[in-house]
Amino acid sequence: MGETTTSFLPVFVTLFPMLMTLAIYYVQKESAKLRNKLSVITSIITFIAVAAMYPQIIRGDILVFELFEIIPEMGFVGTFRVDILSFCLALISSFVWMLATIYSIDYMSHEHAQNRYYPTLIFTLGACLGIFVAGDFFTLFIFFELMSVISYVLVVHEETEEALKAGYKYIIMTIIGGLALLLGVINTFELAGTVSLEHTGMITTASGLAFATFIAYIIGFGMKAGMFPLHVWLPDAHPVAPAPASALLSGIMLKTGAYGLFRVFFNVFNVEFLQETNWIFVVTVLAVITILLGSAVAITQYDLKRRLAYSSIGQMGYVLLGMSLFTEAAILGAIFHIFSHAFMKGCLFICAGAIIVKTGKRDVRELGGIGIKMPVTMIAFTTASLAMIGIPPLNGFLSKWNLALGALDGGAPFYVVVLLISSLMNGLYYLPIIINAFFGEEVLHQEIKADDVPFKMLLSIVVLAVCCLIFGVSPINLPFDLSRMATDLLIGGGI
Amino acid sequence: MTFINVIHAHSTVLLIVSFLLFSFLMPILERWKNSWCATMAVAAHVLAFVFIGNLSWRVFTEGTIHYELGGWSPPWGIEFVVDYLALFMLITISTVSFLILIFGTVDLTHELKPKVLGLYYTLYLLLVGAMMGLAVTNDFFNMFVFMEIAAISACGIISVKSDRECVEASFKYLMLSAVGTGCVLLSVALLYMIGGHLNFAFAAAAIQDVAHIYPNNILVALALFSVGFIVKAALFPLHVWLPDAPSSAPSPSSAILSGLVIKIYTVVYLKLLYKVFPIELFDLLPVFDMILILSALSIFFGSIFAIVQEDIKRMLAFSSIAQIGYVFLGIGLANSTGLTGGLLHIFNHAMMKSMLFLSAGAIIYCTGIRKIDDLKGIGLKMPVVMGAFTIGAMAMVGIPTTNGFISKLYLALGTLDANKHFYLAIILISSFLNCLYYFPIVINAFFGESEEEDGEEEIQVKKLPLRMSVPLIILGAGCMIFGIFPKYILVIIERAVEMIL
Repeated sequence: MGETTTSFLPVFVTLFPMLMTLAIYYVQKESAKLRNKLSVITSIITFIAVAAMYPQIIRGDILVFELFEIIPEMGFVGTFRVDILSFCLALISSFVWMLATIYSIDYMSHEHAQNRYYPTLIFTLGACLGIFVAGDFFTLFIFFELMSVISYVLVVHEETEEALKAGYKYIIMTIIGGLALLLGVINTFELAGTVSLEHTGMITTASGLAFATFIAYIIGFGMKAGMFPLHVWLPDAHPVAPAPASALLSGIMLKTGAYGLFRVFFNVFNVEFLQETNWIFVVTVLAVITILLGSAVAITQYDLKRRLAYSSIGQMGYVLLGMSLFTEAAILGAIFHIFSHAFMKGCLFICAGAIIVKTGKRDVRELGGIGIKMPVTMIAFTTASLAMIGIPPLNGFLSKWNLALGALDGGAPFYVVVLLISSLMNGLYYLPIIINAFFGEEVLHQEIKADDVPFKMLLSIVVLAVCCLIFGVSPINLPFDLSRMATDLLIGGGI
Repeated sequence: MTFINVIHAHSTVLLIVSFLLFSFLMPILERWKNSWCATMAVAAHVLAFVFIGNLSWRVFTEGTIHYELGGWSPPWGIEFVVDYLALFMLITISTVSFLILIFGTVDLTHELKPKVLGLYYTLYLLLVGAMMGLAVTNDFFNMFVFMEIAAISACGIISVKSDRECVEASFKYLMLSAVGTGCVLLSVALLYMIGGHLNFAFAAAAIQDVAHIYPNNILVALALFSVGFIVKAALFPLHVWLPDAPSSAPSPSSAILSGLVIKIYTVVYLKLLYKVFPIELFDLLPVFDMILILSALSIFFGSIFAIVQEDIKRMLAFSSIAQIGYVFLGIGLANSTGLTGGLLHIFNHAMMKSMLFLSAGAIIYCTGIRKIDDLKGIGLKMPVVMGAFTIGAMAMVGIPTTNGFISKLYLALGTLDANKHFYLAIILISSFLNCLYYFPIVINAFFGESEEEDGEEEIQVKKLPLRMSVPLIILGAGCMIFGIFPKYILVIIERAVEMIL
């Protein structure tokens, strides 16, 4: 095991974007160009700062920092703590965020209220990273609430009636989730006397209160992760946001819920306890329903972004299933799927954004022949879709493979069937789009220039698609190695 | 040198006397130097800060201050006691009322006829002085006098607009608060009958001695006290005066009524419960359980009523009923975490609610809009005001990094410590209900289609004067600062709680 070192980096990656938000806010009065540049630079620096933790993390070190005391006698201290699991999530988040910010510059250039969009985007980055680098549940909760509440502004950005309605649903559900989470945190504090992530198995005696705590966490984090039956806000909120924001909402922010559940299962409770009491079965059942429901409903959706949003629900089901099976391969699959899904869904949403900007069409039936007019975008879209279905050698295959292995290890072949059915359904709703795009009859009558989309948008699209490709079954696979280390950490109980 | 010595020796009484003096100066000033009234009212507060600074220094270095008025030692003379609890209230009252006053110096010229402006400051200073008196008093009769002063002056600042609604509201307040003070007077008489003392400490000792002989007297006295203070503090079944009073009164009056006046009575009630009544009594009469039930009802129904209001100030008033429920919840839990939460909520809610009322006042000042539905798009035109309102709304819901979160956290932990999970559910549900009526306003103010505005007439917005925006900014910043660094106020509260329990 590595040692614990004090490092300012975890604090930096959280507070730097938050502070830069102010700078961005004031700069925009002077020049919109400077604002855009500053946003991109902030996201890049944040990514670099996260990546800078790599050498220490890879040694197995744990980075900690104690910022300030909020209520010291209750152990309510703003602590930060980065282990390998936190690092995985922080790395992928800051990476996709950086690409989304770069993408935003071209995408948002024709949108209104950019002066509100950029500060919010960057602030949410800080809050989101804060969730991952937090060292105790109080701090985690604070950042979780901040991110959830502030990202409301991203959801309702379009300010159409539809967006406001979706936003209202979102904020109400967020508050419910936040309160449930608060209940979980204070119950934990009451039962265990601590909420620090240094400890594992804080609660290992079954009681009514402990079960209430468990359910409260499931509601709080499950809400964010889009778990059935708490997913109802997701299909409304994600499609109405601007494309880069949807990519982040689906690709990254859903993962905060999954990350929280990881911490709950392995830090608050522990594997033995959850298996003994069989509480974990609640999550497994819900995960199976989430997978099947998300995929099935996606087939019936004809709005492109809505279809993607439902697909996100199904994909988050994989992560939840993997983490609830508790076998090594399953957890590896779940963590790696967090990476995969961030790449895939990020890519798909920003592709969808590019398509909608260029054609103005959101209905998948009207996208015939688009592949020929926007070849790069559609090839990227195809790559990511195939990864979603789980075609080797793409990254989605690798996560599904491990999840299936994990299910078999756990002696539950039933879940393999679920995975297969859902892959089939993924095929059912992704393939028609692709086939229609390349071989379908052209229904677009408007002229689209052949130069595809602006460079900055294209760059992000291509990078994410390439990530889907190279982080599949290739010999050098950084996300996979990191996931394996995180799995070892979780299984070894050495958090 | 002597001057400083005088301050040092008599700051307790000078604090209250200076408010009374300044307030009676107002009618005279108003005759000759009308414009000086506001300045002098501010000066009174500045002077108060000096005294309170001196008091807090002494309390922190020397411990509790016992001040004997006129050199007459108790039980014959009147005694003022400045302990951590009193100090905490003094700080809360002086800061918040100062900020409200600064806001009021502009807002009142707009809301009131110039004729009554000077008189308004008279009433305002009287009210603040009486509240401070209630915080430091250690004597039943003195307490009663201050309660009457506070009641009359509060009634005055409600009715000062002298339109139909205000007069009706103030009459309602006058009646109910007369019932309240009547109850209190009666119970003071009952206790005096058996104890023979008016000083809290002496009365407590006497009551302890004779408790077994006259249990009924004490029980009735406690019941009457409870009713009296519950009316004054506007807890659920006896809250009926509150929604009318702040919603029709000028905004500074609403802010001070909802933010401070109802709180001081809870503190006095708390003082009486712990200082005067013997602990064994609470086995006979489960007063804490009753407080808990009433506070739960108050929290729940206050929020429910607030949801259906159309007038923004009326909505805020109903929200106050729910929030005072939190304070009582803390008292009823009777453990250190819960009580800390309750006291902390006094401070936090004083900031939040006065900020919300002042921002509502600023909206009314600038646009004349009172209806919640008409506030569409106001956030972009009045960013400072609606920014403050947003922070207040977040604090009410208990979003972390605002002060409301910290007090809710303490209260929630208090319910768990007391093993009363039902009340935890109440806290969470009410936070959710708060979000149901606060967030739509914020959302409406900042987001919404701008295209539709073409057809409708634009909302005319006056420019917000600096003296109105600065208090809002300070209060907003305060809500955030005490949400992130609550330890600066917890220092006092924790010692107060330690002393009480």
